[in-house]
Amino acid sequence: MSNVNTVVFTIVVILFVLVTFVGFAASRWRRADNMLHLDQWGLGGRGFGTFIGWFLLGGDIYTAYTFIAVPALVFGSGSIGFYAVSYTVMVYPIALFFLPRLWSVARVHNYVTPADFIRGRYGSRGLSLAAAFTGILSLMPYIALQLVGIQAVLTVMGVGTSSTNTYVKNLPLFVAFVVLAIYTYVSGLRAPAAISFIKDTLIYVFVIVAVFYIPTRLGGWGHIFGVAQTHFTSIDPATKKPYGTFIPTTKSTGSTEFDFATLALGSAVALFVYPHTITGALATKSRNVVKRNMSLLPAYSVLLGCIALFGYMAVADPITAAKVKKSGDSELTVPYLLQHMFPSWFTGIAFGAIIIGALVPAAIMAIAAANLFTRNIFKEFFKPDASPKLETRMSQWASLVVKFGALLFAVELHTQFSINLQLLGGVWILQIAPMLIVGLYTRWFHRWALLTGWFAGMIYGTIAAYNVKDATLSHWASSSDIVFGHSVYIGFTAIIINIVVSVVLTLVFKALRVPAGTDETLPHQYTADPETAPAPIPAGVGLGTATELGTSSD
Amino acid sequence: MTQPATTPSAPGDPPGPGSARPGNPITEHPITSAAIFVLVFGAICCTLIVPIYASTTPKVGDFPFFYFYLLIYMPIVAVALALAMLLQRRLERARKTSEVR
Repeated sequence: MSNVNTVVFTIVVILFVLVTFVGFAASRWRRADNMLHLDQWGLGGRGFGTFIGWFLLGGDIYTAYTFIAVPALVFGSGSIGFYAVSYTVMVYPIALFFLPRLWSVARVHNYVTPADFIRGRYGSRGLSLAAAFTGILSLMPYIALQLVGIQAVLTVMGVGTSSTNTYVKNLPLFVAFVVLAIYTYVSGLRAPAAISFIKDTLIYVFVIVAVFYIPTRLGGWGHIFGVAQTHFTSIDPATKKPYGTFIPTTKSTGSTEFDFATLALGSAVALFVYPHTITGALATKSRNVVKRNMSLLPAYSVLLGCIALFGYMAVADPITAAKVKKSGDSELTVPYLLQHMFPSWFTGIAFGAIIIGALVPAAIMAIAAANLFTRNIFKEFFKPDASPKLETRMSQWASLVVKFGALLFAVELHTQFSINLQLLGGVWILQIAPMLIVGLYTRWFHRWALLTGWFAGMIYGTIAAYNVKDATLSHWASSSDIVFGHSVYIGFTAIIINIVVSVVLTLVFKALRVPAGTDETLPHQYTADPETAPAPIPAGVGLGTATELGTSSD
Repeated sequence: MTQPATTPSAPGDPPGPGSARPGNPITEHPITSAAIFVLVFGAICCTLIVPIYASTTPKVGDFPFFYFYLLIYMPIVAVALALAMLLQRRLERARKTSEVR
């Protein structure tokens, strides 16, 4: 604890205490009669309106790790990092297609997780298990990365003992995480929903101030872009290649336009397939809230665009650039930049914002993973008669286990490894997109064909990612691969393989008349907008029910 | 609920109450549906097709075109999606009235 700035440290601690208080108080917020129900703990009572939904989803999608990693990528490689901006814009029109349908059918049938829907739609426990497994697998490294985000800030703050024991060294991280785990256990989804207000306000303030203030210190935008352009087009003596790209090019290797586009498209499709974003969406109270948020959430992407520019600011600031190079860890780009540019009190607010920005999504992700475990593994395979109370208790405990698993992940494994696993997580989660997104529109695909397609995509994606090497890493070097002479996002290739396998096998299984399973959903349920979740309605809906289902529009 | 469908649909209104797909919004309102499709698909394509904006020039202020485009694009998508949603609501309202009939 040698070089700790007291002002920065004090402000961060105050903000953390405030957030902890809100996290515990949230259990009393919008309280229901029976809190021991997964709809309450895991989905906050399914009652959030447009305003809270916006904060919750924003807090869920734009994580602290994004704020750290995107500028780090821009700092290291240039324009390719801006794929994140393109992807967070593209995601909303894409989600507008299928998310309202998922919301409706989930509300009618009381589905809590995406795997619940897959179970109901295809009548297949195997397919639902595959979805749940993929969801949990992809979420673990994602939660771990939130911790990496906190660690980056703590490192620059100088917090952490100089002990060589990893556990003693990371004590502050442990404290933060234990507190988070306890209030998530107590308050469920209400905790991150309430905290996201604080998080987003702080993030907006610090980013807007930074975007206007830092360029004045660095000689204006013209200078920043000029330095960045010179830097990324010059040749790195070590690799004999340019440091990066300033604008995506049409050349066949490096950061090409094709790589940029497939990375953005793949990530955009993956985002609302991730269980934690679906948890956020299902917690809203009406179909229109989901839709409205798709047009309101791009406001966060403006913010992300500004944050990505921090990477160029760091390139243009010699002191920050030197510090990051010396540390050898590009994750420290943003914390070093803020520390160098701002007075201590403002740095404290910015650091606090990033730490809180890690806690919100980490909580939602843990809840989403816990719900998947409880609903689609525990209840499905071990205790089919579990009561709502038992389900909730199980989820609460599972959320603790998930969090401590992620903590071990973050502390034990090398940072680079967690990052690669998260890249792989994106590739993996994309493989359940066919069964989920396509399943919302058609039941043409055969369940076993989807399962085989999923398996093929998972295997291809994992092996392809493992084989990518660069100058310094012999494996897992990036999430892009060369296919037919073009650099392409691995998730994109994997999902094409997945779909092709699914189509071919569906034709085969249909020709062989393999049983397709029963579908418990009905066409009109995909556009329903019920106030409260009614009991499933039999086919042949009469006049009365149709109006009941159709009239509410918040 | 009030009055079961005895009111005949207006002349020239293609699918009447008894026809194959009553209240299919796409066939009843082709222009509105097409507009929604263009807005939403346009929003995706204009960022997916990278060559549209992958260039340094023309510079807007100090911003190379690539960066300017990406930043300005987000408010545009927000407006396009809001518009698409309003249109879609109109379709839904039309469908509901035809459902109640």
